[in-house]
Amino acid sequence: MHGYLAGLKLEARLIRAQPDSLIPLVTAPLFTIIFLAIVRESGRYDLQPDALMAPVLIALWWVALQHAGQIITHDRWQALLESIVAAPTSLASLLFGRVTTVMCLGLVSFLEVWAIGAVFFDVSLRFEHPLELVLILVCTAFATAGASLAFAALFVMTRNAYTFTNSAGFPLYLLSGVFVPVAVLPGWIHPVSSAIFMSWSADLLRASVRPAPIDQFWGRLGMVVLLGVISFVIGRFVLIYVLRRMRMTGELATA
Amino acid sequence: MSAIATTATIMRYAFRAGLADYRSMYTWKSWLAGWFVRVLAQVSFFALIGERISSDERATFYLLVGNALAVAAVTGVFSLNATSSERWAGTLPLLVASPSSPVIVFGSRGSYAALDGTVSAVSALFVAGPLFGMDLPWPRVLLVVPLTALVAYSCYCFGTFLAGVVFRFRNINSFVVLTSYMTIMAVCGVNVPLTYYPEALEWISRFMPLTNGLLAIRGVFEGDAASAILGDAALEAAVAIGWMTAALLSFNQFASRGRRDGSLDYGA
Repeated sequence: MHGYLAGLKLEARLIRAQPDSLIPLVTAPLFTIIFLAIVRESGRYDLQPDALMAPVLIALWWVALQHAGQIITHDRWQALLESIVAAPTSLASLLFGRVTTVMCLGLVSFLEVWAIGAVFFDVSLRFEHPLELVLILVCTAFATAGASLAFAALFVMTRNAYTFTNSAGFPLYLLSGVFVPVAVLPGWIHPVSSAIFMSWSADLLRASVRPAPIDQFWGRLGMVVLLGVISFVIGRFVLIYVLRRMRMTGELATA
Repeated sequence: MSAIATTATIMRYAFRAGLADYRSMYTWKSWLAGWFVRVLAQVSFFALIGERISSDERATFYLLVGNALAVAAVTGVFSLNATSSERWAGTLPLLVASPSSPVIVFGSRGSYAALDGTVSAVSALFVAGPLFGMDLPWPRVLLVVPLTALVAYSCYCFGTFLAGVVFRFRNINSFVVLTSYMTIMAVCGVNVPLTYYPEALEWISRFMPLTNGLLAIRGVFEGDAASAILGDAALEAAVAIGWMTAALLSFNQFASRGRRDGSLDYGA
């Protein structure tokens, strides 16, 4: 628990010191303006809730790929990884704490999007299923944290993670149906999308701001959590493998 | 060696250094499987939104063309990352100490971005267009290639100006790249016509890169008169010249300040 709390505090300090960490809080309002402008200009006011939800999901993907996913790689570049691994605290608990802080930052985008919609477009989210909405956001943040841990462990193995993170954003937005539901995509893509937790989250979030009851809510929410847990397990095993390999080859401190 | 010949030599070497940087990031395989997949996904993402909001295919094509050209814009703005690369490599203070102007180096070093932006945007248009059933009127569509190059160059000039700003405030590099790119996507007629926003914003967007060039390209697809297309293209060229002039005027100022207060450090 000490490691977890230390991770929370450390990441909060790092975010304060690095303005680049706040990028999703700037891009989320801009995405909101773009999406709302598109749907309103075409007269599709019924799609405004979807236009408000999409930037939140994009912000979460962004923090997973660009921020949380790069934590170990950055620590290694700055020669911090040796000290962290040598410390008695578990690396996983420290990482989980840091990723939690980053996810909280990602969730702030929800409030921003809400404010931008209300101030600039006079559009307000209708909380038709408030309890479900909170549960979906929390579970999505948890699953994103799991994906972040997997990304962090995988990226540290690559020579140039930048190439991947720079390229993966829009394919993930598309495959996870952050704005256009996966059902609209070609059939052969559906199995791939079903394996991505965000596709379940996106459908649930859209359903939670509509008056109709949410079909199979608990089952679908369970899928978000299950896929998040699978990401955590993959990330944990990859991390163990990577650290063992680095110790054996003496590459822990080399970039 | 004359001053012009020296400048040309510096520009050539800077361009080759930029190209070498780019080759360290992408091979042609990783470009195709990574970057180009992202570009196609980005264009398809917005084209699918077009299909969702309207049964009129013109809505889809509007978003498809706009976002394909936005790729040229993002790549051009990415050229400002050259400043950070120099910093990480520890060569920034050496460049500022050298007798040539840093703007010559940074202006040339990132120019591969304009080339990359043109190839990426045109390829996206020519691949995603037919996928979504868009007609590419031959041979008129060939006009899109030089117009896209003009847009990419214009955005690269804008990126070079921003590189000067980032030179002084380097810890906001990624912040500047992404907010600039997103702002261009929001206000330059990429996703909605300029008339959608208040008139003042429409005026401002006319001074931004992409806006006028995109109008010219839309004109090519809509069969507009050559004079209208040329007019918009000329405005885009004027915007490019304007941003490059601003870069030339401001870059050395930013560098000098860094030299005075000792903030041209190595590393992060």
